[in-house]
Amino acid sequence: MFKYNFRYELKLLIRSKWIQLLSILLLLLFSFAAFNGQQKVEKRNLDIAEMKQQIEESDASMLKLLDSVESGMQVSVPRWTIPNSPMAVGNYYPRIAEMRASALTFVATGQSDLYTHYIKPTVASDDFELNFTEMTSPTQLLFGSFDLAFVIVYLLPLIIIAFSYNVLSYERESGSLRLLASQPISLKHWVLQKLGLRFFWLLLMVIVILITVFIAMGKISEINVTGYAYFFGIILVYMLFWFAIAFLVNIFGKNSANNAVSLLGLWVVFVLLMPSGLNQIGNALYPIPSRNIMINKMRITKSEATKKQNEILDNFLRDHPEYAINDPKQSRSFWHGYMASKQLIKQELEPIVATYDEQLRKQQRWLDKLKWVSPAIVVQESLNKMAGTSTADYENFRKQVIDFAVIWREHFMPFLYNNQPFSKQDYTDLPKFQYEQKTLEIRESILVVSAISLGLLSFGFLMSKVRVSAFS
Amino acid sequence: MIVKTFHKETKELLRDGRAKATFIIVLLLLSVAVWISHTKYKNANTEYEVAKQNEREVWDNQDAKNPHSAAHYGTYAFKPKYPLSLLDKGVDKYVGTSIFLEAHNRNEALYSAAADQTGISRFGELTPDFILLFIMPLLVILLCYNIFTKEKELGTFFLLKSTGASVTNLTLGKWLSVFTPVFLSVTILFLISGFMLSSLKDYGVFSWTPLLSMWGVYILYYIVFINIVMLISYVSKRSGISLVISLSVWIIACLGAPKVASTLAEDKNPYPTRQEFEAMIVKGKKEGLDGHNPWSKEAKLLEKQVLEEHGVDSLHQLPFNFDAYRMQKGEEHQAEVYFKHYKQLKEQYYKQTKTYKSLAVVSPFLPTRFLSMAIAQTDYATHWDFSDAAENYRIKSQKFLNDNFAENAAYGEWSYKADASTWTDLPVFEYNPPVLSAILKGNRSYLIILGFWTLLSFGTLFLITKLK
Repeated sequence: MFKYNFRYELKLLIRSKWIQLLSILLLLLFSFAAFNGQQKVEKRNLDIAEMKQQIEESDASMLKLLDSVESGMQVSVPRWTIPNSPMAVGNYYPRIAEMRASALTFVATGQSDLYTHYIKPTVASDDFELNFTEMTSPTQLLFGSFDLAFVIVYLLPLIIIAFSYNVLSYERESGSLRLLASQPISLKHWVLQKLGLRFFWLLLMVIVILITVFIAMGKISEINVTGYAYFFGIILVYMLFWFAIAFLVNIFGKNSANNAVSLLGLWVVFVLLMPSGLNQIGNALYPIPSRNIMINKMRITKSEATKKQNEILDNFLRDHPEYAINDPKQSRSFWHGYMASKQLIKQELEPIVATYDEQLRKQQRWLDKLKWVSPAIVVQESLNKMAGTSTADYENFRKQVIDFAVIWREHFMPFLYNNQPFSKQDYTDLPKFQYEQKTLEIRESILVVSAISLGLLSFGFLMSKVRVSAFS
Repeated sequence: MIVKTFHKETKELLRDGRAKATFIIVLLLLSVAVWISHTKYKNANTEYEVAKQNEREVWDNQDAKNPHSAAHYGTYAFKPKYPLSLLDKGVDKYVGTSIFLEAHNRNEALYSAAADQTGISRFGELTPDFILLFIMPLLVILLCYNIFTKEKELGTFFLLKSTGASVTNLTLGKWLSVFTPVFLSVTILFLISGFMLSSLKDYGVFSWTPLLSMWGVYILYYIVFINIVMLISYVSKRSGISLVISLSVWIIACLGAPKVASTLAEDKNPYPTRQEFEAMIVKGKKEGLDGHNPWSKEAKLLEKQVLEEHGVDSLHQLPFNFDAYRMQKGEEHQAEVYFKHYKQLKEQYYKQTKTYKSLAVVSPFLPTRFLSMAIAQTDYATHWDFSDAAENYRIKSQKFLNDNFAENAAYGEWSYKADASTWTDLPVFEYNPPVLSAILKGNRSYLIILGFWTLLSFGTLFLITKLK
């Protein structure tokens, strides 16, 4: 019976105009989405390359200036930007801290339209004032991007629904169900086989089309085996989930229109309502305190610190006697007081800033527990993780940049407090930033979603009694 | 015939458990969303008032100091929330709410709510606009996908025709039976929101006219959807097919079109990255006068000019402090640089808007989306307006401070300290958003497109039902 079913289904699919239309539609959707993603990635890499180029040019001019200054010549730049002052180097010749795209970044835009991919911390910039958001039109952020993740998470289930909502009800409506019932196979077996075959063909189609798109884009060799395994793995389990839902609706449902309405209702619940509802509840449970009030607090702390700048410097030097002793001249500029008070402000503001991070972490932890209610959330998150565009990735980048900003500032402190000029030899010792992408595990997501899908399938299989008559 | 059809359809709808349940669920969701928004709106408003007042106090209570130090110390402009943001949050989540106003720099609004949220927030929020824009059309589809196909499937369509009833009247009756529940629920929701808003203590800015306009926009939007879905039901043979086609229309109009539009807008007219934009500003600033640098070529030129103008040969003889004068001139140059680059940015924004407008022809969702958030004053245009107002205020306050320095101190007298009472003389930043008539004028084309959609869908529906 399986063989017969398989052959019949294959013939049906090949002869159906729908399937031809569907393959063209899928090809178009996937290509358009992948192409968009790729364009974003190219722009990102180009922007970083340009910025690096600029840094190289400004470094070359810095070395030239240092050359001139060290050989006692006059230079024609404002005196506070002459790079023999360590603070001038730290402020006007910053390094670039960049986050390059990875091989699968084009798959999901994720948070990449919201955050910047490179930043240049200076010694004068405050860590918590570094602006990590990108200058994107908010309308664009509101509408989101047409990327592969959108096609997979939102549209693919709809295609599956269109493909499978009437497998059983059609037979019933066209009167062939009675004929089928006379075959030596139980109806639920038959529905499962039929849906299984449709699942298999659709999956094959998706894989072939995606690989074709990857080849056309020249991406095929960039992605490694694990990347492919995870990418297709997550698509597979997501499709399996929707086929399981379709199976349940098919065996418990009545007529085709009813089935379609139920399936679409479930789609709305899983893809639209659950994510937005969870987000809302998360915000309500762990609200982020007002940023405007934070600004108030920062201002007051800062104005007090500015008033006491000289006092703060004295205290600072008491805590760091090495700076006071090493410098026989003991001459103090604006920068000495400024940098010392900055440290104090940072220490005082850290608890305020930390509450924001902490609330956000709590929200995230809560969501990590509840996200399993909707595989759409899990799949979107996994695709973002694979692409390196998830919130966790940008959080990771932010941390690394802030660490680097501290290293960068600390590098100049001995120069400043020892009143030691910056020289050409010191150039090679300047700290450099290297972004380390953390590999975020998505194996768990694949396993859990497949377990949910298989659970649904076996539930339907064990609990159902498919009847021949529509009215029984 | 119209009344009879209306009665029959309404009765059927009331008896249909599924339709009733869905309707109740949607209304519940909508009420929850309005309630959540209402609490958030109240909190945000209180916080805004507190922040604004505190910031002003911080500014007013500065000690005696040099006006230019005060200029560097700066102040903040906070963006208020408007009553209708209760119904449509628009792009509010993606733009910052506070702008730091200081000497020499025009800063971007900081702290967008989206950056303070987890990744899941990109799925959307359970807000009234989400339900009004996405879920209500789905409800419309559910209510009328089988409005004609059920008659065909049960064979009653031909019976109806054989009674000699006009199909137009039949269509009208059916149309009214779908429109009435949608109309009633949306109207009640808007009325409740209106009463909620007018019962707030500080409801000074709330007025019923914008709310009524927004209500009108949504009613038109649902009319378009009802017409389209009824048309599909009329030409389809089976309910299943009618449903699948109606849903495809919904997907294309509400999910696909906005994403395609934003992708095309960004591809055709991209914004510079923040770092690029800043680099351009730095370059622009370097090409002119820097108020802090008396040794530059431009500063020397200015010096010569001013001396000639006043017919004196030393800066000390000038009737004002030249340091402050140069500072102000530098400020003006920098303001010009910002103006130029923000103008370029705005041009990109206008071009992007054009792309959105041209795609609005394809999807009734887009004109509704833009009109709704424009009326709610939560669209990008309002944000631009706020940011420009803050910049104007910044320029004026810099002039106020530099003038104080120029008039009260001698040349070279950097130790000059303005009296602590000076700071209160700086006018408070007040922002008045564009009024409704201006908003509607600015979004004329979206209004026309939505009107066009309404007429076209009505026309096609009645024409096809008459002909076929």
